[in-house]
Amino acid sequence: MGHPYIPNTREIREQMLDEIGVASIDEFFADIPEKIRLKRELKLPRQMSELEVKRHVQTMLAKNEPFTKMLSFLGGGVWLHHIPSHIQSLVQRSEFLTSYTPYQAEVSQGMLQALFEYQSVICELTGMDVANASMYDWATAIGEAALMCARVTGRKKVLVPELISPERFAVLQNYASGPGLELVKLGFDWSTGQIDMSQLRAELGQDVACVYVENPSYLGFLETQVEEIADAAHKVGALFTVGVNPISLGLLKAPGDYGADIVVGEGQPLGNPVSFGGPTLGIFACRDDQKLVRQIPGRLIGMTTTLDGKMRGFTMVLQTREQHIRRERATSNICSNEALCAVAAAIYTVSLGPRGLRELAEICAANASYAMKKLDAINGLEAPIFTSPHFNEFTLRSTQPKFTIEKLNTKLLKQGIQGGKPISREFPEFGETAILCTTELHTKESIDQLVDAAAEAVGARR
Amino acid sequence: MGEHEILEGLYYTKNHEWIKFEGNLVRIGVTDYAQEQLGDVVYVELPEVGKVVKQATEPKTKEMELGAVESIKAVSAIYSPLAGTVKETNQTLQDRPELINTSPYSEGWICVLEPSNIEVERESLLTPDAYATFLKTLK
Repeated sequence: MGHPYIPNTREIREQMLDEIGVASIDEFFADIPEKIRLKRELKLPRQMSELEVKRHVQTMLAKNEPFTKMLSFLGGGVWLHHIPSHIQSLVQRSEFLTSYTPYQAEVSQGMLQALFEYQSVICELTGMDVANASMYDWATAIGEAALMCARVTGRKKVLVPELISPERFAVLQNYASGPGLELVKLGFDWSTGQIDMSQLRAELGQDVACVYVENPSYLGFLETQVEEIADAAHKVGALFTVGVNPISLGLLKAPGDYGADIVVGEGQPLGNPVSFGGPTLGIFACRDDQKLVRQIPGRLIGMTTTLDGKMRGFTMVLQTREQHIRRERATSNICSNEALCAVAAAIYTVSLGPRGLRELAEICAANASYAMKKLDAINGLEAPIFTSPHFNEFTLRSTQPKFTIEKLNTKLLKQGIQGGKPISREFPEFGETAILCTTELHTKESIDQLVDAAAEAVGARR
Repeated sequence: MGEHEILEGLYYTKNHEWIKFEGNLVRIGVTDYAQEQLGDVVYVELPEVGKVVKQATEPKTKEMELGAVESIKAVSAIYSPLAGTVKETNQTLQDRPELINTSPYSEGWICVLEPSNIEVERESLLTPDAYATFLKTLK
C-alpha cells in the first residue's frame, strides 16, 4: 500500500529493508509488543472534499461572537486598539513574514534594519539606551530581568509588588525556581494601592538584586512613588526594574527619567492584534552600562558601517551572550524573539509619532476617567477601588450584597457588552471586583451604553 | 607552531595560561598561543576580587573559572591553574581588552592569585620546555 506523503516504491522499501537486514516491515517493528498493536483502521470520519471542509469549518466559525461586533471592556494584560491597515499590509510582506533569524547579515539587511528601528523606538519610549529585539511577552521579560539583576549584582532576592499581575508572577516564579531566586511580595496601602514604603525599606538590604514595580499597575492605577523606590533600591546597590504598557508612555514620564535600570513591558498594544491572548511582544531595555549590557538577554541588533566606511549596515551584535555561541552559559535560554510583532510595533509607533502617541494615551486615559466617574455614581458600584490616578484601566467593585461581578457581566453580555475581567479569584480581598479597560476604540456613547446597562443590571435605575 | 612566544621564568598549563611567581602570590595570564587562537579579543570578564577558586581538573566546573575571554565569535573560560583566592584583577582590560592580543605576557595579565595549596599543585604546572613540547603535539 502506498502512503500519500511517503513516495517510496515497493522496490525502494525492499532495498531499504535489505540494507538494514530485516525481511519485512513486520520484522522491523517486532520490538513493539503484539498486544498494543492496533489491528484495525483508526476510527476517523471519512475524508471530506474541499467544499465539505469549507462548509464544516464555516458552520463552526458561525458559532463565534467576534469582539468586533461587541462592545468590549476587557484588558488585564492585552489591550484592544485600532490597528491601521498599512501595518498589516507591510508586516505581511514575505520579506518580513518568512524571514528567519538574521544570522547572515549580508542577506538580511531589511529585517535587521526593521528590528534596529524597533529597538530605537523602544529606547525612546522607555528612556533607556539599549533595547533587545524582543522577548516572548511581558511576563518572560520580567523573568529575564530578575535573572539579569541576579547575574549583575551576584544577589538572589527580588522584591515585587503584591498587586503584580498573578499570571506574570507565576511566570516569574518559574524563572526564579531554577537558580533559586527568593521572591518577596511588598504589601500596599489599602486606600491608594501604592507600595508600602516602610515594608520596602525593611526588606531592602545588601542581598537584594532587583526591585520590580508595574506602572501602570495590573489594577490600572499609577505607582506614584517610583522616584523614592528607585532611590531606595539604588542605595543598597539593587537594580530598579519597571514594567509598562508602552501606550501609557505617550503621556507618562519615561521610566528612564525616574531611575529605572531595566524596563520591561507588553508590546502587543503597539499594532498587534488580540487573539486568544496573543501574539504578545516582550519589551526589554536597559541603561547603557557595560555591566548591564553584557548581561542583557536575547537578540541585539546594531548599526555599523561597511569595511570601506561608505555604507551603513546592520548586524546582530554581542552574540557571545547568546545560546548559539555561549551554550549553557548564555544570558538567556530564549534565542527566539517576536520579530514580526516587533516590526509591527515599530511601524505602528513611528506611524503615530510622538504627538499621535500622546493623543492616543490621552484618549485612553480620558475614557477611563469618564467611565470611572459615571460608574462610581451608580448606587451599588464603586470605581475605582483605589484613590490613586489611573491610566486606561481601573477596578470596578460591586458593593451590593450578593450581586456578583459574574452576575453583572452576564447581564451586560445580554446587551452585547463584554464587561471587565473578574479578579475575585486572583484577589479575593477586594471582594466582587473586575478590571475594566478603555482605549481609543471607545466613544462617549459606548461608555454611556456600558454605564446605562450596568445601572440597569444592579437595579439602580428603573 | 614554533613562532609562538614562550617566556622563560614562567610556568604554563595545558589550558594555555601562564603563571608567574611573585613572592607568595602568582600572576596569571593567557599565553601567546592562546591569544592567537582566540583572535581579536573584544571583552574580558574578570573574576571578582576575593573569589575562591579550585585548580582546574576534568570535568571543569564554575569554581575553577577565573572569568572569560571573549573574541568576536567565541568565548573561552579562563581556568585557574592553581587553587586560591583572587587578590587583584587587571582593570585596564575593561577598557583595553586588546592588550590580551598585543601584550599577553605583560600588560595583558588577568589576575593575581594567592595560592592555597601550592606545594602539591605546582607539580602539575609545565616548564617552558614542557609547554613548548606540548604545543608541538597540537595539530
